[in-house]
Amino acid sequence: MREKSGNRVRLCTAALVLSASLMAWSAIAQEMTTSIVDIHQGSLLSDRARSLGSGGYELQNGSRVSFNQWYHASWVDMHVDLLTPITEDTGILWGFGTGEAAEKYRIAPSLKLGFLTQMHPGPNSTLSLSFTATIGGKLTEKTCQANYGDLGSFNVNCRLAASEMAPEETLKYLVNAKPESQHLWLNYRVTF
Amino acid sequence: MSRRLRQFAIVHRSCRLNRGKNMSNNRWKFGIAAALALVPASMAMAQEAVGPDPLSTLCAGGQANAAICLSATLATTTTPTVQSWMSPDVGAAWRAGYKGQGVTITIVDDFSSTSKFSGNFGIGTQTQRHGEWTREEASMVAPLAAIRSKDFSTSSAVALAPGLNVLNLSYGMYAKAGYSPSQIGWSAEEASIISYATKGTAVVSKAAGNDAVAVGGVTGGQQDYLDLALVGKASAIFVGALNSNGTTTNKASMAWYSNTAGSNTAVQSHFLVVGVAGDKTGLYGTSFAAPIVAGYAAIVGSKFTKATPTQITNQLLNTARTDTLVGYNASVYGRGEASLSRALAPLAIR
Repeated sequence: MREKSGNRVRLCTAALVLSASLMAWSAIAQEMTTSIVDIHQGSLLSDRARSLGSGGYELQNGSRVSFNQWYHASWVDMHVDLLTPITEDTGILWGFGTGEAAEKYRIAPSLKLGFLTQMHPGPNSTLSLSFTATIGGKLTEKTCQANYGDLGSFNVNCRLAASEMAPEETLKYLVNAKPESQHLWLNYRVTF
Repeated sequence: MSRRLRQFAIVHRSCRLNRGKNMSNNRWKFGIAAALALVPASMAMAQEAVGPDPLSTLCAGGQANAAICLSATLATTTTPTVQSWMSPDVGAAWRAGYKGQGVTITIVDDFSSTSKFSGNFGIGTQTQRHGEWTREEASMVAPLAAIRSKDFSTSSAVALAPGLNVLNLSYGMYAKAGYSPSQIGWSAEEASIISYATKGTAVVSKAAGNDAVAVGGVTGGQQDYLDLALVGKASAIFVGALNSNGTTTNKASMAWYSNTAGSNTAVQSHFLVVGVAGDKTGLYGTSFAAPIVAGYAAIVGSKFTKATPTQITNQLLNTARTDTLVGYNASVYGRGEASLSRALAPLAIR
């Protein structure tokens, strides 16, 4: 599982990359060059999906079922954020996420779109504002087919199949989560 | 000829025996022998002359509606607590909030005699009738099940409630050995119970008996004909007692007094065992094994809300454990130790 400290490092890296891009922006704006702002793997939803993989239970014959086999993804959702300048002080932020999948969940691919604009209140200061919206990227937990012998087979929440909950009740606890859909970012920078 | 009814921890009762079709009118009323090959701790029980259990009076009197007894969830404790005499499975079962709701357990037992004895299910020492003990035990295992009390002295048919029904029988019907169950002139009460077990309309949890013989075996020249009548019935479960709750590292053995499954495969296939921790409760006997299985049936029934009594019965039988028992042998332990956690788990999942 990705650690929180790892997320912080990633965010700092992203901010540095973004700042560097902004500095280079004015120089390249005229050429409409698209720059990579950030590349990272993992997200809050990736972390959440991975957390579903802890635990397990015994089947009727005593054999152990580990959730990890169902919630372990071989590829972690990768996000690439790009910036395409339109004018010297505005640009389009866009990007995508690859999504990820394991046997019992899927994070759908996502698209990010937004803008960045900046102004200069003083000769040494910059105020920038960005807004992005994300489409897709939803985490969807899949069901299991549980065979209870004489009692029949049911569609269940894999993690709750051995609980006292009625099989149909377990479906209420399937994880369906959306990513952060909108992001507003305001930054003020003074150089001295 | 005499006939006696034994509670598998207490007694009282009369009934009739019918010697075959040609003797349908030749019935004997048998005096009741309070017998109880009980266990030492139970022999020391306090006997008090008291009024009948107010909850059971609703079932007494022989009126047409006599079988419509109390239907209520008994408030034994405000917050259910996993007691030391219970299997750890019970606590695991409760944690998800399913405790037998939607299921009715009817305790057919003594709720009106003057015979009482003492014990402690972990909520303080009490002195109660046999039926009050078995009722309390079942309600502690399945605290959200509706519990009905049916005094067996009424002899009226046992009524079923809407939804899944579980009957607890912690008594036997004894008479001289050698008859066929079909020769018995059953009262409406036992006739209804046998019918429910035959048709699979209620789970019937029957205490195996305390004579350390095989179910249906002869002891003192007598047999438990209720046992015999339930052999091979779809939704009947005979319940024997272990001296503790077994684990793979601390296996349990049969309590010395408990009846066993014996060589009859029809009994073996419907025989379960559970721990009766008399050292913790002061209550011994298979009387206190059957309510545990009745409670398990209710909990399983609260999960599989559309399951039939026969399916619930088979689920408990098919998921019994043998690896928690000392020297497992089907002629002793039948299917093995009832396992609530396994009864709730899938056979396979993908």
